[in-house]
Amino acid sequence: MADYQGRRLRVLLAKLGMDTHTVGITIIGHALREAGMEVIFTGLKQTPEMVVAAAVQEDVDVIGISTLSAGHTRSLPKLARLLREAGAEDKLLLAGGVIPEEDKPILLEAGVGKIFTMGTDTRDIVRFLEQWWAEKQAAETV
Amino acid sequence: MLQSMGAAWNPVGRVRAARYYRGNDRRAGGGGEAGMNKPIDSFVAANDNLAGEARRWDAETRGPFVAKNPERRDPFVTQAMKWPIKPLYTPTDLEEAGFDYLTDLGFPGEYPYTRSTRPNGHRSDFWTMTQVTGFGRGEEWSRRARYMLDQGLSGLILEYDLATTNGYDSDDPMVEGEVGRAGMALDSLEDLEAAFDLPFDKLKYLMSVCNAPQPVNLAMVIAALEKKGVDPQDFVLHIVNGILIEYTCVGRYIYPPEHGLRIATDCIEYIIRNHPNWAPLSIISAQLQPARANPVQEIAFSLAIACAYIDATLERGLDIDTVAPYLNHFVVNVDMDFFEGVCKFRAFRKCWARLMKERYGATRPEALKIRMMTSPTTTALTLQQPLNNIGRLAIMATACALGGAGEAMTTPLYDEAHALPAEDAIRVGAALQHIVAHETGVAETIDPLAGSYYVETLTKQLEDAAFAEMDRIFAMGGATKAIEQGYFQRALGREQYERNKDIEEGRRKWIGVNHLVLPEEKREIEIFRLDDSMEDDQAAKVRALRARRDQAAVDAALEKVRRAARNGDNLVPPCLEAVKAYATHGELCNVMREVFGVHTPDSQLSGV
Amino acid sequence: MGIAADLLDGKTAAGARAISWLDDGDPRGAEVIKRIFAGTGRAHVIGITGPPGAGKSTLTNMIVGELRARDKRVGVVAIDPSSPFTGGAILGDRVRMARHTLDPGVFIRSIGTRGAAGGLSRSTHDACLVLDAMGFDMVIVETVGVGQDEIDVVNLAHTTVIVGVPGLGDEVQAVKAGILEAGEIFVVNKADRDGYEAARRQFELMLHLREQSRPAETWTPPLLRAVASAREGGVEIVDAICAHRAHLDATGGFERRSGLREREQALALLRERLARRAIAHAGDSILAEVEARRLDPYSAVERLTGQES
Repeated sequence: MADYQGRRLRVLLAKLGMDTHTVGITIIGHALREAGMEVIFTGLKQTPEMVVAAAVQEDVDVIGISTLSAGHTRSLPKLARLLREAGAEDKLLLAGGVIPEEDKPILLEAGVGKIFTMGTDTRDIVRFLEQWWAEKQAAETV
Repeated sequence: MLQSMGAAWNPVGRVRAARYYRGNDRRAGGGGEAGMNKPIDSFVAANDNLAGEARRWDAETRGPFVAKNPERRDPFVTQAMKWPIKPLYTPTDLEEAGFDYLTDLGFPGEYPYTRSTRPNGHRSDFWTMTQVTGFGRGEEWSRRARYMLDQGLSGLILEYDLATTNGYDSDDPMVEGEVGRAGMALDSLEDLEAAFDLPFDKLKYLMSVCNAPQPVNLAMVIAALEKKGVDPQDFVLHIVNGILIEYTCVGRYIYPPEHGLRIATDCIEYIIRNHPNWAPLSIISAQLQPARANPVQEIAFSLAIACAYIDATLERGLDIDTVAPYLNHFVVNVDMDFFEGVCKFRAFRKCWARLMKERYGATRPEALKIRMMTSPTTTALTLQQPLNNIGRLAIMATACALGGAGEAMTTPLYDEAHALPAEDAIRVGAALQHIVAHETGVAETIDPLAGSYYVETLTKQLEDAAFAEMDRIFAMGGATKAIEQGYFQRALGREQYERNKDIEEGRRKWIGVNHLVLPEEKREIEIFRLDDSMEDDQAAKVRALRARRDQAAVDAALEKVRRAARNGDNLVPPCLEAVKAYATHGELCNVMREVFGVHTPDSQLSGV
Repeated sequence: MGIAADLLDGKTAAGARAISWLDDGDPRGAEVIKRIFAGTGRAHVIGITGPPGAGKSTLTNMIVGELRARDKRVGVVAIDPSSPFTGGAILGDRVRMARHTLDPGVFIRSIGTRGAAGGLSRSTHDACLVLDAMGFDMVIVETVGVGQDEIDVVNLAHTTVIVGVPGLGDEVQAVKAGILEAGEIFVVNKADRDGYEAARRQFELMLHLREQSRPAETWTPPLLRAVASAREGGVEIVDAICAHRAHLDATGGFERRSGLREREQALALLRERLARRAIAHAGDSILAEVEARRLDPYSAVERLTGQES
């Protein structure tokens, strides 16, 4: 095996419910790959239960959910809760897409780690993740 | 000096004037004739020298200027195709493109229809001016529809919620949170009976936007119309039925592609044979744009998809001159690159005509003429500084008109980036079309940009590239095979990534987003929130229906559908019987799931 | 250590974490293997390989379904290529296996090649051990579809399934030596397509030649047809897999292959570790000499190994 270089960041990307717009998730997936991350794409029409099961099996560090329809105020908190119940709350939960200002506090309160609204520069997202990851690694070695 | 013009400049020798003027037989021998009958000799002499003159111009006039004033872009490219744009286009470019007026353009209303499918352009009638506004659900839709009919509209668009378009009943746990949001919830004939509480004497055209479960939806609409006593001959139903594009983008499909195509063809065949005044297909090429398809892909993908429908329908024993006029409805948008938009429309008309003639041997004009509904694209609009969008829409609407706006134009709302449609936005959108039509004069003559050296070069480039791409798709076995192999998805995934990079890295300037950004701008996204009780009501309604109907009759009807699905019989008649027995939408879709299976796709994320 | 004990107990998160350690080359991964090794050797490892476009994921999805119907617990290792430039990867095989996500008897793990050639990642072998130790009866390894260089899976798996598809050119159809000589079960997928007959004949020919060149071979590789997207062919493929297992049991082949696999893995680890140690010891200077063409590779290695302490 090569010298241990540290963990490579693994990100799960998924869409919940019936919404099938994939442009945002496609662009972000490619950007993360260009940044050297491993992107596990679970597909469309996922339920929160499916996302959690996949996230555990794949031992991902980050879960990114893209949402363009209005169901996010129900499905994302449910996902956060299921992650906690599965003992996987250390995985960072991100939400992206069309999310009105007034919903953000609800989502953050419910366990979403960060919200990236539509149009966020992918380089900002990559930077954020790299920084989060570095901080997490540092905390773990302490 | 030539270096300063970039790689695109190709000085060529003589312009063969005789070819350029093929239509003109008046080769005057001597000199001194007035007006259009200039002696051809003097013209030949001038054009012989054109390339030389062009070089001289570049060396003596442009070159020195550019040396002191460097160009502001490097390279200059079109927005979507990223094709190089030369500083200047001249007759030499047409010569090189092999341009010939009669072959490439012809006359309006005549093959190859490049200038217009309409013999008199927009001089007799303007395009139909329409607008898309959000439609409500159920009785609410009905109320809104009645209002619009009262305002003088005679056509309506019926859109369904994601539960319906994905083939589920409103009480299915899979669709929690989706019922009635994106459109009407359609669980059974009951829902349409309620929605069709309309003055059908005023309503002459109805478009039903359904794709995956189209035979079920078609059966429901037919049954509802029957119940209302509407004479199908007195009324046009237009079903979108565009399942193949759904596989490439958007993604509202249920069954694997070959079965999706089969049931779409069932609807096409049923309508051609039973309701010849109806329209069984609309290929919404415009849906490819949010998926970042470039103009060549838009043309090639949607025409290849059209061929898939045509081939499938021809196999049912119909001939091309009968079939093509039913399958030539397209919805095509323009983006902000003005000339890519104009030229795309022209190329689209020509490509369809050539395809029908060369691939299928069609002869009737109705088969050779494409029908387009056109629109400015919403993907060019920004959330930031929304008033800028009015300007964008005006420019795009003008491009539509100059490209030949087709049968109808739709203007999206300037506020459409996820805000509620405000009354002002509606009014401005409608006014825009009238301004373009009445105040600009662009529609006063037919295809006014024809003959422009740039426009004709670009149109031909698009045409050639589109045919090359189509050949690639046909070599794969056609659109259905290409979908199964994930070809479209991968191509679009690449475009999405690359175009986004263009914006992030500033190669494409987008005002408000990465240029002239207002740092303190706080833009509120509002989304349409539904009363959750509506979903519960709808779920209860469908449960109650299941409880009180004749279950034995429903089971028998469903079994007939199952058998037809297995045997390859047309699914519309057994679906019609089943919906009249009040089988639900979800039940019928599930029967087909049993027989056809469910499609799991190649994602656009696979394969960069 | 907790992780090792938990995964022997069948705990998903622990197994997933162990695989991550092994994938990253974390030293804790090696510790886990040491602790669980005695609990491995039971699982039947099945390789699924073939050119891109053969429909391996859909086929795997179908096979998993059929195995579950026969009450087998199944682990899946799905490998996708990592970018040689950025090291990142898009791992999308799960998309086609979505219906098994919530089944506790199925564990699906996506892995990037991370620079390894041969169709597998360096961690694939160990990931299989982890799934084995977790109690899965079968472990399916779905390789990257790169064509004819997919030898690695053959050394790893007890049973290798080669998937072909109609319509590909000769050169991609794995007609070349190596993979065709080593597979045990052959499947022509997407059999409803044009060109099925031709593809089938190609395989038949190759298998015939193979049979001729191996008179002592007791296993006759079946040539099967499938349309995985329509769920056709799964039963026959799983029957063939079970038949091959029975054959291996009868001939002692199962244990032999399991053992050989571990030997190969040990050698691979040894090679890597020795190379690393030698270079760490000597610094990059000797290799720099080779790169500057002042020293030939053979002399360089003599110096490097001579300097082994």
